[in-house]
Amino acid sequence: MTLDGLIDERPRTELLDEYAKREIRRAMLSAVAIPGYQVPFGSREMPVARGWGSGGLQVTLATVHREDVVKVIDQGDDDGVNAVNLRRLVTSSTGARETSVAAEATVVQSRHRVPEDGLDENTVLVLQVPVPEPLRGVERDMRELARMHAEADYSRMWVSLYEDKVRNGVITQSTGYPCLVDGRYVAATTPIPRWDIPRLHDAPFLTLFGAGREKRIYAIPPYTDVEPLTFEDVPFEVEDADGACCALCGSRESFLVSLPGAPTWLCSDTDWCRRRREPSA
Amino acid sequence: MGYVSARGGLDAIQAAERLVRRLRLVSDSTWLEEDQILDKLRMLVDRVMSEAGLWDPRLAAAAIRQSEGDVTEAVHLLRAYRSTLPRFAYSEPSDADDIRVRRRIVPAFQRVPGDQLLGRSVDYTARFLERQSDEDAREEAEKLRAEHATAVGDTAANDGDTATNDGDAARTPRRLIELLREMDLLVDRRSVGDPEPFDITRVPARPPAPRSALLSSMSRADTGALVNQWYRNILGPDGYLHEVTLGEVRHGDLQVVVAHPVSGEAVSVAEVRVTEVEAIEDLDEIGEDRTRFDVGYGLCFGHNERKAIAMANLDIACHRDAGRTQLEQSLLLTTDALDSAGFLEHLKLPHYVTFRSMIERKIAVRKARRKHDA
Repeated sequence: MTLDGLIDERPRTELLDEYAKREIRRAMLSAVAIPGYQVPFGSREMPVARGWGSGGLQVTLATVHREDVVKVIDQGDDDGVNAVNLRRLVTSSTGARETSVAAEATVVQSRHRVPEDGLDENTVLVLQVPVPEPLRGVERDMRELARMHAEADYSRMWVSLYEDKVRNGVITQSTGYPCLVDGRYVAATTPIPRWDIPRLHDAPFLTLFGAGREKRIYAIPPYTDVEPLTFEDVPFEVEDADGACCALCGSRESFLVSLPGAPTWLCSDTDWCRRRREPSA
Repeated sequence: MGYVSARGGLDAIQAAERLVRRLRLVSDSTWLEEDQILDKLRMLVDRVMSEAGLWDPRLAAAAIRQSEGDVTEAVHLLRAYRSTLPRFAYSEPSDADDIRVRRRIVPAFQRVPGDQLLGRSVDYTARFLERQSDEDAREEAEKLRAEHATAVGDTAANDGDTATNDGDAARTPRRLIELLREMDLLVDRRSVGDPEPFDITRVPARPPAPRSALLSSMSRADTGALVNQWYRNILGPDGYLHEVTLGEVRHGDLQVVVAHPVSGEAVSVAEVRVTEVEAIEDLDEIGEDRTRFDVGYGLCFGHNERKAIAMANLDIACHRDAGRTQLEQSLLLTTDALDSAGFLEHLKLPHYVTFRSMIERKIAVRKARRKHDA
């Protein structure tokens, strides 16, 4: 018998071996136990490239069971090419069913958005994280970053926010706004828009953050304090659409994205927009 | 459960997939066999195995064919495949002294213990582009085959650079650094313990990390990334390294041994080819032993001297740097082909939510300025 003869050549649908899933689940449990802390894990290479949701995909694959119902969005859109691609990988390898309706989903994997509605205590939100380190803008050296988090020394972050405000009149951080989680760790909120930040505070659902390239998993457990870093006299501002409404559903109460040129605005959460237009659906 | 497709995302990516397959598979030329890739694109197969951190020439050939020669894509295919497989065993440590060399050069001395063995190298081959016809090439191949068979006997006449008349001693030459040690010209950094090596595939390596993490990270790093890390220290903004003198440049075969699961005896299960380099560094900093040299080490799968030389030089540079700069972080975190290429290419993904938020802040700054100026 040769080694080649022992190799099982049958086509496989699994993207991760069971040991890897177990390791990822352990990292997820640690992350839930220490909200906002970036737990290192042995991130595996996935069929999608690093930077394309490989971390979110690993977290989702370690979470999803055949009984689960999965929603996958990119920019709030269920039909974006990357969302479609990740969804078919998840459903084909796990046997889970798919939905675009957030309230039907037990696991929602998302890039750059929190769905406008439908997330409750039965939902796990998995966010794809390109850069898990919120302090990289003020410090590059990982040894120093580890010290700053360990000692909760966020002074340079505060100084940078202060300087931003003094120089520009507003805090110019757009998405991925740094937040203090459970009063202890400053965490990077993927890049979700500021619009979504208040919706993470004291939320009924579990949010898991998967950073595959940087090999970190962190979490915001249900009903956890999430405070955007800001000053007492400088209120945190979500994106302002200057009174615009969605050209399709007329919404003013959702995160809107604009089309270039003509002043046309659309809901970024496409399924939420669809359901407002088709109440029967 | 409801899933409503609105704008044909699935159709678009399926059409792209069909186009990939059609352009790859449909043509009038002959089918590219794995064997052809293994035989004719040997350096490419070696490079892909090295950057994938996976020794399996046949899988590498399949990946190269599927990726149409895109090295990083082939590396991705191999690593993602490996993610689906459980790990059953660990090999026993292999002693690099057991490498049977196919090529071995020692630039540091004219004559050295063991011989200089130029072996297969294009170093001194004039780089003329050959426009040989297929017919002439085949004719030449037959001639070369016959010549080689006469020279070394008929056995394994086609087995590249291993089939020679050399005895074992010539193929496992003594190392130059042993001689330097005898001359008391080397700093002795040999450690007594035998710590478990850092497994970069299971634990993310971040500074400060043990040397084994650094070496294994560089061993499967992108070749171009390591060459660039080296050169930016020569001519770029970083100046953390010297040009070293090379003590050994070797390319050869090494047995991979595992403990038999039943008997516990050591069994050779595979033979891999590696490139190994020892770089001799002149210690000239304050606090260093100015009477001696130190040595950096490089080893990677396959024949890839560029990579192993860069690795050996960066290894000793990182040791001498001793955490003063972020060289270690650069080597551990920025040289992996899939990390850097994946993140670079992710910029092609839709970013209209973040961009919308950025535009909103631009307008907010303008409003704040108008208010301030008013």
